Amino acid sequence: MKVLAELISLACRLFLAGLFLWAAHDKVWDPASFAEAVARYDLVPLWMVNVGSVLMAWLELVTALCLVFGLATRAAALWISAMMVFFTGLMVYAGITGAGFDCGCFPGQNGHPAGYEAAWRDFLMLLPALWLLAWPGRWLTLGGTAPKRQRLELKL
Amino acid sequence: MYLSGAGSGVLQGGPGQATLGPGTPLECKVLGRRPPLPLLLSCIIILVVAGGAGLIFNLVMPQGVGWLPSYVSRPLWQEAGLSEAVRLQKQGAILVDARDASDYKLARAAGAVNLYPAEIKLLWPLLKQTLSAAPAVVVSGRYTSRWPAARIGQFLREQGLAKVYVLDQGLDAWRAAGLPVKTPRRARP
Repeated sequence: MKVLAELISLACRLFLAGLFLWAAHDKVWDPASFAEAVARYDLVPLWMVNVGSVLMAWLELVTALCLVFGLATRAAALWISAMMVFFTGLMVYAGITGAGFDCGCFPGQNGHPAGYEAAWRDFLMLLPALWLLAWPGRWLTLGGTAPKRQRLELKL
Repeated sequence: MYLSGAGSGVLQGGPGQATLGPGTPLECKVLGRRPPLPLLLSCIIILVVAGGAGLIFNLVMPQGVGWLPSYVSRPLWQEAGLSEAVRLQKQGAILVDARDASDYKLARAAGAVNLYPAEIKLLWPLLKQTLSAAPAVVVSGRYTSRWPAARIGQFLREQGLAKVYVLDQGLDAWRAAGLPVKTPRRARP
C-alpha cells in the first residue's frame, strides 16, 4: 500500500512538474506577452499588471523546479493548489463574462480559450496537487534515497 | 542506525574529541531526521526566490518588462471622464479603442477605431497624418487595468501628439450612460 502511494506521489510530482515547466517557460521568456494576457482579464490595476504577471510566471517555474527535485514538495504543492484554485475561479469568471479569448495558460495563441472547459481542466489539475499536499512522497527526491541522517544525543 | 539500552564507561580526550572508557554512565537517544522546514516558511522562501529571480531577470534581460514601465510611472497622457470624452469627440477628437480585435468586433463605442498595442508601431506610418491632424485623441480600453489604452496613449504622446487622453471608464459605463454603442448585426438582440 505504501509503495502504491509512493508511486502515485511520484507520478503526480512529475506530471505537475512537466506541466508547469511547459506552462512557465514561455511566460518567463516572453514576459510582455504574458503581461498582455493578464491585462486582458481586466482584474488587476495598471500598476499591478507587470508585477503580478512576472511573479506568477516565476512562481510557476520555481514550484515546478521544486517538484522536479523533490525539494519542499508540500510547499510547492500548496502554491500550485492555490494557483489552480485561483485559475479555476478565473476561468469560471471568464465563462460567465463570455470572454472567449486565449486564456494565456500555455504557449500558443488561441489554442486554449478561457471559459468553462478551461475551468474543468484546471480543477482536474488541482487533484494531483492536493494529493502531493497530503502525501508528498520520498521517491526520487533530493535526500529521499540517501541514507537517513540521524541525530544522536548523548548524556553523560 | 539503532541504539538501545544504557551503560557506563570513562570519557577521555580533549576538546573536539572524546573516547569512552569503562565506568562512565551513558545515556543515548536517537532523535531521528532533522524536521523539515515549516510549511509556511517553505512557502515564503519559494515566493521570495520567485520574486527575486523574476526581478533580476526582468532587469537584466532585454525582453524584460520592468516592474513599473513608463506608462505607469511617468504617464504622458491625461485621464478623461465620460463627459469629457464625449465633448472632445464632438469637437472632432478621434476615439481609439485599444482592446484586441475580437472584443472590438463584439461591441464598441460608435465612431471608435481599433488600434491594439501589438500593431500600433506597424500602423503608425499609415495613421500618423490622420491622428496628428485631429484636435485630440481619446483612447479607451479596459477599465480596471487600462493596460492597452495606457500603452497606446503613451506611444502617441511619444510620437509628438499633443492632446492624448485615456478614458477612465470602460465600455459598460459608456453603454450605461446611454452613449451610442455599435454591435455587429448578428449580435443584436
